[in-house]
Amino acid sequence: MIHRTTSRYALAAAMPFALAGASVLRANPLVAQQAATATPSVRVTGAVTQSLTLTAADLASMPRASVRTTSNGITTTYEGVWVADVLKKAGAPLGNALRGAALSTYVIAMASDGYQVVFSLGELDPEMANGQYLLADSADGQPLFGETGAFRLVVPTDKRGARSIRMLTSLQVVTVRK
Amino acid sequence: MRRGGASIAALLLLLGAVITTSVITTATTAPTRGGGGAVAPFVWDIPAPFPRPPVPHDNPMSSHTVELGRHLFYDTRLSGNGRQSCATCHRQELAFTDGRARAVGSTGMMHPRGSMSLANIGYAPALTWADPRVTALEEQALVPMFGTSPVELGLDPDGASLLQRVRADDVYQRLFAQAFPADSAPFSVTNIVRALGAFERTLVSMRSPYDRYRYGRDRNAISESAKRGEMIFFSGQRGGCFQCHGGWNFSGAVRYDGDTTVSAGFFNTGLYNVAGAVSYPSSNTGLHAITGRIEDVGRFRAPTLRNIAVTAPYMHDGSIATLEAVVDHYAAGGRTIASGPQAGVGRDNRYKSPSVHGFVLTGTDRQDLVAFLEALTDSVFLRNPAFANPWPHEP
Repeated sequence: MIHRTTSRYALAAAMPFALAGASVLRANPLVAQQAATATPSVRVTGAVTQSLTLTAADLASMPRASVRTTSNGITTTYEGVWVADVLKKAGAPLGNALRGAALSTYVIAMASDGYQVVFSLGELDPEMANGQYLLADSADGQPLFGETGAFRLVVPTDKRGARSIRMLTSLQVVTVRK
Repeated sequence: MRRGGASIAALLLLLGAVITTSVITTATTAPTRGGGGAVAPFVWDIPAPFPRPPVPHDNPMSSHTVELGRHLFYDTRLSGNGRQSCATCHRQELAFTDGRARAVGSTGMMHPRGSMSLANIGYAPALTWADPRVTALEEQALVPMFGTSPVELGLDPDGASLLQRVRADDVYQRLFAQAFPADSAPFSVTNIVRALGAFERTLVSMRSPYDRYRYGRDRNAISESAKRGEMIFFSGQRGGCFQCHGGWNFSGAVRYDGDTTVSAGFFNTGLYNVAGAVSYPSSNTGLHAITGRIEDVGRFRAPTLRNIAVTAPYMHDGSIATLEAVVDHYAAGGRTIASGPQAGVGRDNRYKSPSVHGFVLTGTDRQDLVAFLEALTDSVFLRNPAFANPWPHEP
Protein backbone atom coordinates (compact mmCIF):
# COMPACT_ATOMS: atom_id res chain seq x y z
CA MET A 1 0.00 0.00 0.00
CA ILE A 2 1.46 3.33 -1.01
CA HIS A 3 1.12 6.30 1.27
CA ARG A 4 1.87 9.75 -0.03
CA THR A 5 2.36 12.99 1.72
CA THR A 6 3.74 16.37 0.94
CA SER A 7 5.67 18.39 3.40
CA ARG A 8 7.27 21.80 3.27
CA TYR A 9 10.17 21.07 5.53
CA ALA A 10 13.73 21.31 4.34
CA LEU A 11 15.53 18.02 4.26
CA ALA A 12 18.77 19.83 3.70
CA ALA A 13 17.91 21.96 6.69
CA ALA A 14 20.55 24.62 6.94
CA MET A 15 19.90 25.14 10.58
CA PRO A 16 22.57 26.60 12.76
CA PHE A 17 21.40 24.43 15.60
CA ALA A 18 20.80 21.30 13.59
CA LEU A 19 22.77 19.33 16.12
CA ALA A 20 21.10 20.79 19.16
CA GLY A 21 18.02 19.38 20.77
CA ALA A 22 16.96 16.40 22.73
CA SER A 23 16.40 14.26 19.70
CA VAL A 24 20.04 14.25 18.69
CA LEU A 25 22.99 12.60 20.33
CA ARG A 26 26.49 13.58 19.31
CA ALA A 27 28.74 10.61 19.05
CA ASN A 28 32.41 11.12 19.62
CA PRO A 29 33.67 12.34 16.27
CA LEU A 30 34.92 9.35 14.46
CA VAL A 31 36.46 8.92 11.12
CA ALA A 32 33.74 7.97 8.72
CA GLN A 33 34.02 4.51 7.47
CA GLN A 34 33.77 4.84 3.74
CA ALA A 35 31.77 1.68 3.40
CA ALA A 36 34.01 -0.27 1.13
CA THR A 37 31.61 -3.15 1.09
CA ALA A 38 30.31 -4.00 -2.33
CA THR A 39 26.75 -4.20 -1.04
CA PRO A 40 25.57 -1.43 1.29
CA SER A 41 23.21 -2.56 4.01
CA VAL A 42 21.28 -1.46 7.07
CA ARG A 43 21.67 -3.51 10.24
CA VAL A 44 18.80 -3.93 12.69
CA THR A 45 20.11 -4.96 16.09
CA GLY A 46 19.44 -4.83 19.82
CA ALA A 47 16.23 -5.79 21.60
CA VAL A 48 14.78 -7.74 18.69
CA THR A 49 14.12 -11.44 18.24
CA GLN A 50 15.91 -11.49 14.91
CA SER A 51 18.84 -9.25 13.97
CA LEU A 52 18.77 -8.25 10.32
CA THR A 53 21.19 -7.09 7.68
CA LEU A 54 19.11 -5.59 4.90
CA THR A 55 20.39 -4.83 1.43
CA ALA A 56 18.59 -2.96 -1.31
CA ALA A 57 17.49 -6.31 -2.69
CA ASP A 58 15.96 -7.25 0.67
CA LEU A 59 14.10 -3.95 0.87
CA ALA A 60 12.85 -4.40 -2.70
CA SER A 61 11.06 -7.58 -1.66
CA MET A 62 9.25 -5.91 1.26
CA PRO A 63 6.02 -3.85 1.13
CA ARG A 64 6.98 -0.63 -0.66
CA ALA A 65 5.93 2.87 0.30
CA SER A 66 6.72 6.37 -0.85
CA VAL A 67 6.59 9.92 0.47
CA ARG A 68 6.95 13.23 -1.29
CA THR A 69 8.90 16.11 0.18
CA THR A 70 9.50 19.65 -0.97
CA SER A 71 12.75 21.31 -0.01
CA ASN A 72 13.59 24.80 -1.23
CA GLY A 73 11.17 24.38 -4.10
CA ILE A 74 12.45 21.01 -5.27
CA THR A 75 9.98 18.17 -4.89
CA THR A 76 11.42 14.70 -4.37
CA THR A 77 9.61 11.37 -4.24
CA TYR A 78 11.38 8.96 -1.92
CA GLU A 79 10.67 5.27 -2.07
CA GLY A 80 11.47 2.57 0.42
CA VAL A 81 9.94 0.66 3.29
CA TRP A 82 8.18 1.94 6.41
CA VAL A 83 10.53 1.67 9.37
CA ALA A 84 7.77 -0.13 11.29
CA ASP A 85 7.74 -2.92 8.70
CA VAL A 86 11.49 -3.34 9.06
CA LEU A 87 11.20 -3.48 12.86
CA LYS A 88 8.31 -5.91 12.62
CA LYS A 89 10.46 -8.17 10.46
CA ALA A 90 13.10 -8.09 13.20
CA GLY A 91 10.50 -9.02 15.80
CA ALA A 92 10.26 -5.72 17.66
CA PRO A 93 7.06 -5.44 19.75
CA LEU A 94 4.59 -3.46 17.66
CA GLY A 95 0.81 -3.26 17.37
CA ASN A 96 -0.84 -5.27 20.14
CA ALA A 97 2.55 -6.23 21.53
CA LEU A 98 3.46 -2.60 22.15
CA ARG A 99 2.29 -2.30 25.75
CA GLY A 100 3.70 -2.33 29.26
CA ALA A 101 7.47 -2.42 29.46
CA ALA A 102 7.72 -2.51 25.67
CA LEU A 103 6.55 1.10 25.62
CA SER A 104 9.94 2.09 27.04
CA THR A 105 11.63 0.92 23.85
CA TYR A 106 13.50 3.34 21.61
CA VAL A 107 15.41 3.09 18.37
CA ILE A 108 18.80 4.68 17.64
CA ALA A 109 19.29 5.40 13.96
CA MET A 110 22.98 5.70 13.16
CA ALA A 111 24.79 7.07 10.13
CA SER A 112 28.15 5.98 8.76
CA ASP A 113 29.72 9.22 10.04
CA GLY A 114 28.53 8.59 13.60
CA TYR A 115 25.51 10.91 13.53
CA GLN A 116 22.73 9.43 15.64
CA VAL A 117 19.08 10.29 16.22
CA VAL A 118 16.50 8.63 18.44
CA PHE A 119 12.87 7.65 17.94
CA SER A 120 10.57 6.00 20.44
CA LEU A 121 9.15 2.70 19.27
CA GLY A 122 5.69 4.11 19.96
CA GLU A 123 6.03 7.00 17.55
CA LEU A 124 7.27 4.61 14.84
CA ASP A 125 4.23 2.33 15.17
CA PRO A 126 1.44 3.34 12.77
CA GLU A 127 -1.07 1.74 15.17
CA MET A 128 0.12 4.13 17.87
CA ALA A 129 0.91 7.44 16.19
CA ASN A 130 0.51 9.36 12.97
CA GLY A 131 4.11 10.10 12.03
CA GLN A 132 5.62 8.89 8.77
CA TYR A 133 9.02 7.21 8.93
CA LEU A 134 10.37 5.87 5.68
CA LEU A 135 13.56 3.90 5.30
CA ALA A 136 14.31 5.20 1.81
CA ASP A 137 16.54 3.58 -0.77
CA SER A 138 15.59 5.60 -3.84
CA ALA A 139 14.65 9.13 -4.85
CA ASP A 140 12.73 9.94 -8.01
CA GLY A 141 13.18 6.39 -9.22
CA GLN A 142 16.96 6.32 -8.81
CA PRO A 143 18.92 4.50 -6.09
CA LEU A 144 20.27 6.88 -3.44
CA PHE A 145 23.94 7.75 -3.88
CA GLY A 146 26.65 10.10 -2.68
CA GLU A 147 25.93 12.29 0.34
CA THR A 148 22.72 10.50 1.27
CA GLY A 149 24.44 7.13 1.31
CA ALA A 150 22.51 4.21 -0.13
CA PHE A 151 19.89 4.50 2.62
CA ARG A 152 18.35 7.30 4.61
CA LEU A 153 15.37 7.95 6.80
CA VAL A 154 12.78 10.41 5.53
CA VAL A 155 10.45 11.85 8.14
CA PRO A 156 8.07 14.23 6.37
CA THR A 157 5.97 14.66 9.49
CA ASP A 158 8.91 16.23 11.34
CA LYS A 159 9.04 20.01 10.99
CA ARG A 160 12.82 19.95 10.56
CA GLY A 161 15.02 17.60 8.60
CA ALA A 162 17.46 16.83 11.38
CA ARG A 163 16.06 13.34 12.04
CA SER A 164 15.84 12.46 8.35
CA ILE A 165 19.21 10.90 8.82
CA ARG A 166 21.37 10.38 5.74
CA MET A 167 24.04 7.69 5.30
CA LEU A 168 21.95 5.33 7.44
CA THR A 169 23.79 2.18 8.49
CA SER A 170 21.93 0.80 11.49
CA LEU A 171 18.82 0.80 13.62
CA GLN A 172 19.50 -0.27 17.19
CA VAL A 173 16.51 -1.18 19.34
CA VAL A 174 16.90 -0.50 23.07
CA THR A 175 14.47 -1.29 25.87
CA VAL A 176 14.77 0.81 29.01
CA ARG A 177 12.54 -1.40 31.23
CA LYS A 178 12.98 -5.14 30.95
CA MET B 1 27.90 51.88 11.02
CA ARG B 2 25.31 50.40 8.75
CA ARG B 3 26.15 49.69 5.18
CA GLY B 4 26.04 52.79 3.05
CA GLY B 5 25.63 54.98 6.11
CA ALA B 6 22.09 55.73 4.99
CA SER B 7 19.33 53.20 5.35
CA ILE B 8 17.00 52.43 2.50
CA ALA B 9 14.32 54.33 4.38
CA ALA B 10 16.55 57.36 4.62
CA LEU B 11 17.40 57.04 0.96
CA LEU B 12 13.75 56.94 0.11
CA LEU B 13 13.12 60.04 2.18
CA LEU B 14 16.00 61.67 0.39
CA LEU B 15 14.63 60.73 -2.98
CA GLY B 16 11.12 61.61 -2.01
CA ALA B 17 8.63 61.40 -4.80
CA VAL B 18 11.07 59.90 -7.25
CA ILE B 19 11.14 56.46 -5.68
CA THR B 20 8.56 53.96 -4.79
CA THR B 21 9.91 50.77 -3.36
CA SER B 22 9.14 47.39 -4.74
CA VAL B 23 8.70 45.01 -1.88
CA ILE B 24 8.27 41.34 -2.55
CA THR B 25 4.93 40.29 -1.27
CA THR B 26 2.97 37.13 -1.48
CA ALA B 27 0.01 38.96 -2.95
CA THR B 28 -1.77 36.91 -5.53
CA THR B 29 -3.19 39.79 -7.49
CA ALA B 30 -2.66 39.73 -11.21
CA PRO B 31 0.48 41.48 -12.36
CA THR B 32 -0.12 45.09 -13.21
CA ARG B 33 2.16 47.89 -14.15
CA GLY B 34 1.06 51.46 -14.30
CA GLY B 35 -2.39 50.59 -15.58
CA GLY B 36 -1.38 47.34 -17.19
CA GLY B 37 -0.01 47.65 -20.71
CA ALA B 38 0.99 44.69 -22.83
CA VAL B 39 4.36 43.29 -21.91
CA ALA B 40 6.41 40.73 -23.80
CA PRO B 41 6.50 37.53 -21.80
CA PHE B 42 9.83 36.43 -20.38
CA VAL B 43 10.86 32.81 -20.90
CA TRP B 44 12.83 31.46 -17.97
CA ASP B 45 15.86 29.30 -18.66
CA ILE B 46 15.73 27.14 -15.54
CA PRO B 47 16.45 23.42 -15.81
CA ALA B 48 14.43 20.85 -13.87
CA PRO B 49 14.01 20.30 -10.97
CA PHE B 50 14.77 23.84 -9.85
CA PRO B 51 12.04 26.35 -8.98
CA ARG B 52 11.71 29.86 -10.38
CA PRO B 53 12.72 32.79 -8.25
CA PRO B 54 9.91 34.87 -6.77
CA VAL B 55 8.82 37.89 -8.81
CA PRO B 56 7.33 40.93 -7.07
CA HIS B 57 3.79 41.66 -8.21
CA ASP B 58 4.66 45.25 -9.11
CA ASN B 59 7.57 44.26 -11.33
CA PRO B 60 6.43 41.38 -13.52
CA MET B 61 9.03 39.81 -15.77
CA SER B 62 9.10 40.76 -19.42
CA SER B 63 11.83 40.19 -21.98
CA HIS B 64 11.95 43.94 -22.63
CA THR B 65 12.38 44.83 -18.98
CA VAL B 66 15.19 42.30 -18.69
CA GLU B 67 16.87 43.65 -21.81
CA LEU B 68 16.61 47.19 -20.49
CA GLY B 69 18.05 46.04 -17.18
CA ARG B 70 20.98 44.40 -18.93
CA HIS B 71 21.80 47.62 -20.77
CA LEU B 72 21.62 49.61 -17.54
CA PHE B 73 23.70 47.04 -15.65
CA TYR B 74 26.59 47.50 -18.09
CA ASP B 75 26.24 51.28 -18.47
CA THR B 76 28.88 53.52 -16.88
CA ARG B 77 26.41 56.41 -17.09
CA LEU B 78 24.92 54.85 -13.95
CA SER B 79 27.83 56.34 -11.98
CA GLY B 80 28.16 60.00 -11.13
CA ASN B 81 31.52 60.38 -12.86
CA GLY B 82 30.85 57.91 -15.68
CA ARG B 83 33.67 55.60 -14.59
CA GLN B 84 31.74 52.61 -13.29
CA SER B 85 28.75 50.48 -13.98
CA CYS B 86 27.20 47.70 -11.89
CA ALA B 87 29.34 45.33 -13.96
CA THR B 88 32.57 46.97 -12.78
CA CYS B 89 32.18 45.24 -9.41
CA HIS B 90 30.01 42.38 -10.72
CA ARG B 91 31.92 40.75 -13.59
CA GLN B 92 30.20 37.82 -15.27
CA GLU B 93 33.36 35.71 -15.70
CA LEU B 94 33.87 35.93 -11.93
CA ALA B 95 30.25 34.93 -11.20
CA PHE B 96 29.51 38.64 -10.91
CA THR B 97 32.14 39.40 -8.30
CA ASP B 98 35.23 41.54 -8.92
CA GLY B 99 38.28 39.58 -7.80
CA ARG B 100 39.08 42.13 -5.11
CA ALA B 101 39.12 41.62 -1.37
CA ARG B 102 37.00 44.74 -0.99
CA ALA B 103 35.15 46.70 -3.62
CA VAL B 104 36.26 50.13 -4.81
CA GLY B 105 33.72 52.74 -5.81
CA SER B 106 33.71 55.20 -8.72
CA THR B 107 35.45 57.89 -6.68
CA GLY B 108 38.08 55.50 -5.35
CA MET B 109 36.48 54.98 -1.96
CA MET B 110 37.04 51.46 -0.64
CA HIS B 111 34.04 49.51 0.54
CA PRO B 112 34.39 47.67 3.87
CA ARG B 113 33.23 44.45 2.21
CA GLY B 114 33.66 42.49 -0.99
CA SER B 115 31.31 42.42 -3.98
CA MET B 116 28.92 39.52 -3.63
CA SER B 117 28.16 37.07 -6.40
CA LEU B 118 24.88 37.68 -8.18
CA ALA B 119 24.43 34.01 -9.11
CA ASN B 120 20.90 33.02 -8.09
CA ILE B 121 20.51 36.33 -6.27
CA GLY B 122 16.80 36.30 -7.03
CA TYR B 123 16.40 33.45 -4.56
CA ALA B 124 18.26 35.09 -1.68
CA PRO B 125 16.09 35.79 1.36
CA ALA B 126 18.23 38.84 2.11
CA LEU B 127 20.65 40.82 -0.04
CA THR B 128 24.04 42.18 1.00
CA TRP B 129 26.32 40.68 3.62
CA ALA B 130 24.62 41.57 6.85
CA ASP B 131 21.44 43.61 6.45
CA PRO B 132 18.25 41.60 6.91
CA ARG B 133 16.11 44.59 5.91
CA VAL B 134 17.17 44.66 2.27
CA THR B 135 15.20 41.86 0.67
CA ALA B 136 14.11 43.28 -2.71
CA LEU B 137 16.52 43.67 -5.59
CA GLU B 138 14.74 46.87 -6.63
CA GLU B 139 15.49 48.38 -3.22
CA GLN B 140 19.02 47.09 -3.03
CA ALA B 141 20.00 48.69 -6.34
CA LEU B 142 19.47 52.11 -4.76
CA VAL B 143 22.31 51.48 -2.31
CA PRO B 144 25.19 51.31 -4.81
CA MET B 145 23.53 53.97 -6.96
CA PHE B 146 22.96 56.62 -4.32
CA GLY B 147 24.82 55.50 -1.19
CA THR B 148 27.41 57.89 0.18
CA SER B 149 29.14 55.90 2.90
CA PRO B 150 30.87 54.47 1.02
CA VAL B 151 30.32 56.06 -2.37
CA GLU B 152 29.85 53.27 -4.90
CA LEU B 153 28.30 54.53 -8.14
CA GLY B 154 27.98 57.98 -6.62
CA LEU B 155 24.91 59.35 -8.37
CA ASP B 156 23.41 62.70 -7.43
CA PRO B 157 20.73 62.17 -4.78
CA ASP B 158 17.73 63.22 -6.87
CA GLY B 159 18.63 61.02 -9.84
CA ALA B 160 17.97 63.93 -12.19
CA SER B 161 21.35 63.85 -13.93
CA LEU B 162 21.06 60.09 -14.38
CA LEU B 163 17.63 60.39 -15.95
CA GLN B 164 18.86 63.19 -18.18
CA ARG B 165 21.75 61.07 -19.48
CA VAL B 166 19.58 58.03 -20.01
CA ARG B 167 16.76 59.93 -21.68
CA ALA B 168 19.19 61.43 -24.20
CA ASP B 169 20.11 58.04 -25.63
CA ASP B 170 18.07 56.72 -28.54
CA VAL B 171 18.67 53.15 -27.43
CA TYR B 172 17.01 53.91 -24.10
CA GLN B 173 14.17 55.79 -25.78
CA ARG B 174 13.29 52.51 -27.46
CA LEU B 175 14.02 50.21 -24.52
CA PHE B 176 12.09 52.18 -21.89
CA ALA B 177 9.07 52.47 -24.18
CA GLN B 178 9.14 48.71 -24.82
CA ALA B 179 9.68 47.79 -21.18
CA PHE B 180 7.02 50.12 -19.77
CA PRO B 181 4.43 50.45 -22.54
CA ALA B 182 1.66 51.56 -20.19
CA ASP B 183 3.78 54.26 -18.62
CA SER B 184 3.27 57.74 -20.05
CA ALA B 185 6.53 58.80 -18.39
CA PRO B 186 8.69 55.67 -18.40
CA PHE B 187 11.95 57.41 -17.48
CA SER B 188 12.15 57.22 -13.70
CA VAL B 189 14.49 55.90 -11.06
CA THR B 190 11.73 53.49 -10.06
CA ASN B 191 11.67 51.98 -13.53
CA ILE B 192 15.48 51.87 -13.67
CA VAL B 193 15.66 49.75 -10.52
CA ARG B 194 12.76 47.63 -11.73
CA ALA B 195 14.68 46.84 -14.90
CA LEU B 196 17.89 46.14 -12.96
CA GLY B 197 15.97 43.85 -10.61
CA ALA B 198 14.37 42.00 -13.51
CA PHE B 199 17.75 41.43 -15.16
CA GLU B 200 19.32 40.27 -11.90
CA ARG B 201 16.50 37.77 -11.40
CA THR B 202 17.52 36.08 -14.65
CA LEU B 203 21.06 35.36 -13.37
CA VAL B 204 20.40 31.72 -12.56
CA SER B 205 23.19 29.19 -12.14
CA MET B 206 22.27 25.48 -12.01
CA ARG B 207 24.43 23.86 -14.65
CA SER B 208 27.59 22.94 -12.80
CA PRO B 209 29.16 19.49 -13.06
CA TYR B 210 27.74 18.84 -9.60
CA ASP B 211 24.22 19.52 -10.90
CA ARG B 212 24.76 16.96 -13.64
CA TYR B 213 25.93 14.50 -10.99
CA ARG B 214 23.19 15.15 -8.43
CA TYR B 215 20.20 16.04 -10.62
CA GLY B 216 21.22 14.99 -14.12
CA ARG B 217 21.97 11.37 -13.29
CA ASP B 218 25.48 11.55 -14.73
CA ARG B 219 27.46 9.67 -12.10
CA ASN B 220 30.69 10.52 -13.88
CA ALA B 221 30.15 14.28 -14.03
CA ILE B 222 32.45 14.93 -11.08
CA SER B 223 35.69 13.33 -9.89
CA GLU B 224 35.97 10.66 -7.22
CA SER B 225 37.72 13.29 -5.11
CA ALA B 226 34.74 15.65 -5.47
CA LYS B 227 32.39 12.80 -4.55
CA ARG B 228 34.36 12.24 -1.35
CA GLY B 229 34.25 15.99 -0.76
CA GLU B 230 30.46 15.94 -1.05
CA MET B 231 30.31 13.37 1.75
CA ILE B 232 32.47 15.56 4.00
CA PHE B 233 30.46 18.68 3.16
CA PHE B 234 27.14 17.04 4.05
CA SER B 235 28.32 15.18 7.13
CA GLY B 236 27.55 16.96 10.39
CA GLN B 237 30.28 14.95 12.08
CA ARG B 238 32.92 15.84 9.49
CA GLY B 239 32.73 19.12 7.54
CA GLY B 240 29.20 20.06 8.52
CA CYS B 241 29.35 22.80 5.86
CA PHE B 242 25.73 22.12 4.85
CA GLN B 243 24.48 23.40 8.18
CA CYS B 244 24.85 26.97 6.88
CA HIS B 245 25.39 26.35 3.16
CA GLY B 246 22.63 23.78 2.69
CA GLY B 247 19.94 23.28 0.10
CA TRP B 248 20.34 23.20 -3.66
CA ASN B 249 21.80 26.70 -3.69
CA PHE B 250 24.42 25.95 -1.02
CA SER B 251 23.26 29.09 0.75
CA GLY B 252 20.79 27.82 3.29
CA ALA B 253 17.08 28.04 2.58
CA VAL B 254 15.96 30.09 -0.42
CA ARG B 255 12.88 32.01 -1.44
CA TYR B 256 11.23 30.78 -4.59
CA ASP B 257 8.07 31.15 -6.62
CA GLY B 258 5.60 29.63 -4.19
CA ASP B 259 7.32 30.38 -0.89
CA THR B 260 8.77 33.75 -0.01
CA THR B 261 8.53 33.30 3.74
CA VAL B 262 12.10 32.21 4.45
CA SER B 263 14.29 34.52 6.51
CA ALA B 264 18.00 34.85 5.96
CA GLY B 265 20.48 33.25 8.33
CA PHE B 266 23.49 35.17 9.61
CA PHE B 267 26.45 33.40 11.20
CA ASN B 268 29.55 34.30 13.18
CA THR B 269 32.20 31.89 11.90
CA GLY B 270 34.96 32.80 14.33
CA LEU B 271 36.86 34.75 11.69
CA TYR B 272 38.00 37.29 14.29
CA ASN B 273 38.26 37.66 18.03
CA VAL B 274 39.91 41.04 18.48
CA ALA B 275 40.45 42.60 21.88
CA GLY B 276 37.64 44.67 23.34
CA ALA B 277 33.92 44.31 23.93
CA VAL B 278 33.10 44.04 20.21
CA SER B 279 35.21 41.16 18.99
CA TYR B 280 35.19 42.00 15.26
CA PRO B 281 36.98 44.90 13.53
CA SER B 282 34.82 48.00 13.95
CA SER B 283 34.36 48.52 10.21
CA ASN B 284 32.63 45.15 9.88
CA THR B 285 30.67 43.98 12.87
CA GLY B 286 28.04 42.25 10.74
CA LEU B 287 24.41 42.05 11.78
CA HIS B 288 25.41 43.87 14.98
CA ALA B 289 25.85 47.06 12.94
CA ILE B 290 22.13 46.94 12.17
CA THR B 291 20.66 45.61 15.40
CA GLY B 292 23.12 46.91 17.97
CA ARG B 293 22.84 43.59 19.79
CA ILE B 294 26.16 42.28 21.04
CA GLU B 295 25.20 38.70 20.25
CA ASP B 296 24.95 39.73 16.58
CA VAL B 297 28.62 40.66 16.38
CA GLY B 298 30.34 38.92 13.49
CA ARG B 299 27.15 37.51 12.01
CA PHE B 300 27.19 37.62 8.22
CA ARG B 301 24.99 35.93 5.64
CA ALA B 302 26.07 32.56 4.28
CA PRO B 303 26.28 33.28 0.56
CA THR B 304 25.79 30.69 -2.13
CA LEU B 305 28.82 28.49 -2.73
CA ARG B 306 27.94 28.05 -6.37
CA ASN B 307 30.87 29.24 -8.53
CA ILE B 308 32.91 29.77 -5.37
CA ALA B 309 36.10 28.67 -7.11
CA VAL B 310 36.02 31.82 -9.29
CA THR B 311 35.13 34.33 -6.56
CA ALA B 312 38.35 34.57 -4.54
CA PRO B 313 39.31 36.12 -2.18
CA TYR B 314 36.86 34.88 0.41
CA MET B 315 34.78 35.92 3.41
CA HIS B 316 32.96 39.25 3.77
CA ASP B 317 36.20 41.21 3.76
CA GLY B 318 38.24 39.11 1.36
CA SER B 319 40.63 38.24 4.16
CA ILE B 320 41.16 34.61 3.11
CA ALA B 321 42.89 34.13 -0.22
CA THR B 322 42.19 30.54 -1.21
CA LEU B 323 39.60 27.79 -0.82
CA GLU B 324 42.20 25.62 0.91
CA ALA B 325 42.70 28.32 3.52
CA VAL B 326 38.93 28.69 3.96
CA VAL B 327 38.67 24.96 4.61
CA ASP B 328 41.48 25.25 7.16
CA HIS B 329 39.68 28.15 8.87
CA TYR B 330 36.55 26.05 9.32
CA ALA B 331 38.48 22.91 10.25
CA ALA B 332 40.12 24.90 13.04
CA GLY B 333 36.67 26.04 14.21
CA GLY B 334 37.75 29.64 13.65
CA ARG B 335 40.78 31.61 12.54
CA THR B 336 43.72 32.48 14.73
CA ILE B 337 45.51 35.75 13.92
CA ALA B 338 48.81 35.70 15.75
CA SER B 339 49.81 39.36 15.78
CA GLY B 340 48.82 42.88 14.82
CA PRO B 341 45.69 44.90 15.52
CA GLN B 342 43.42 41.99 14.58
CA ALA B 343 45.19 39.41 16.72
CA GLY B 344 42.97 36.91 18.43
CA VAL B 345 41.74 33.35 18.53
CA GLY B 346 38.56 33.29 16.46
CA ARG B 347 37.76 29.79 17.63
CA ASP B 348 37.06 31.24 21.06
CA ASN B 349 34.76 34.04 19.87
CA ARG B 350 31.88 33.81 22.33
CA TYR B 351 29.26 34.58 19.68
CA LYS B 352 30.48 32.02 17.19
CA SER B 353 27.80 29.84 15.61
CA PRO B 354 27.67 26.36 17.16
CA SER B 355 27.80 24.95 13.63
CA VAL B 356 31.42 26.09 13.35
CA HIS B 357 32.64 23.33 15.64
CA GLY B 358 35.82 22.48 13.80
CA PHE B 359 36.70 19.13 12.33
CA VAL B 360 39.68 16.91 11.72
CA LEU B 361 41.09 16.80 8.21
CA THR B 362 42.85 13.58 7.37
CA GLY B 363 44.35 12.12 4.21
CA THR B 364 42.88 13.76 1.15
CA ASP B 365 40.02 15.49 2.98
CA ARG B 366 41.15 19.05 2.25
CA GLN B 367 41.68 18.51 -1.47
CA ASP B 368 38.46 16.48 -1.66
CA LEU B 369 36.44 19.34 -0.16
CA VAL B 370 38.07 21.80 -2.55
CA ALA B 371 37.42 19.46 -5.49
CA PHE B 372 33.77 19.34 -4.47
CA LEU B 373 33.58 23.13 -4.26
CA GLU B 374 35.25 23.41 -7.67
CA ALA B 375 32.56 21.11 -9.07
CA LEU B 376 30.06 23.89 -8.30
CA THR B 377 31.52 26.10 -11.06
CA ASP B 378 28.91 26.64 -13.77
CA SER B 379 30.84 27.59 -16.90
CA VAL B 380 27.59 27.96 -18.85
CA PHE B 381 26.58 30.69 -16.42
CA LEU B 382 29.97 32.41 -16.58
CA ARG B 383 29.78 32.62 -20.39
CA ASN B 384 26.06 32.90 -21.07
CA PRO B 385 25.66 35.62 -23.72
CA ALA B 386 22.26 36.49 -22.25
CA PHE B 387 24.08 37.92 -19.22
CA ALA B 388 26.88 39.67 -21.13
CA ASN B 389 27.42 43.32 -22.00
CA PRO B 390 24.88 44.22 -24.70
CA TRP B 391 26.59 47.43 -25.75
CA PRO B 392 28.67 47.24 -28.92
CA HIS B 393 31.25 49.47 -27.22
CA GLU B 394 31.54 51.30 -23.93
CA PRO B 395 28.52 53.64 -23.88
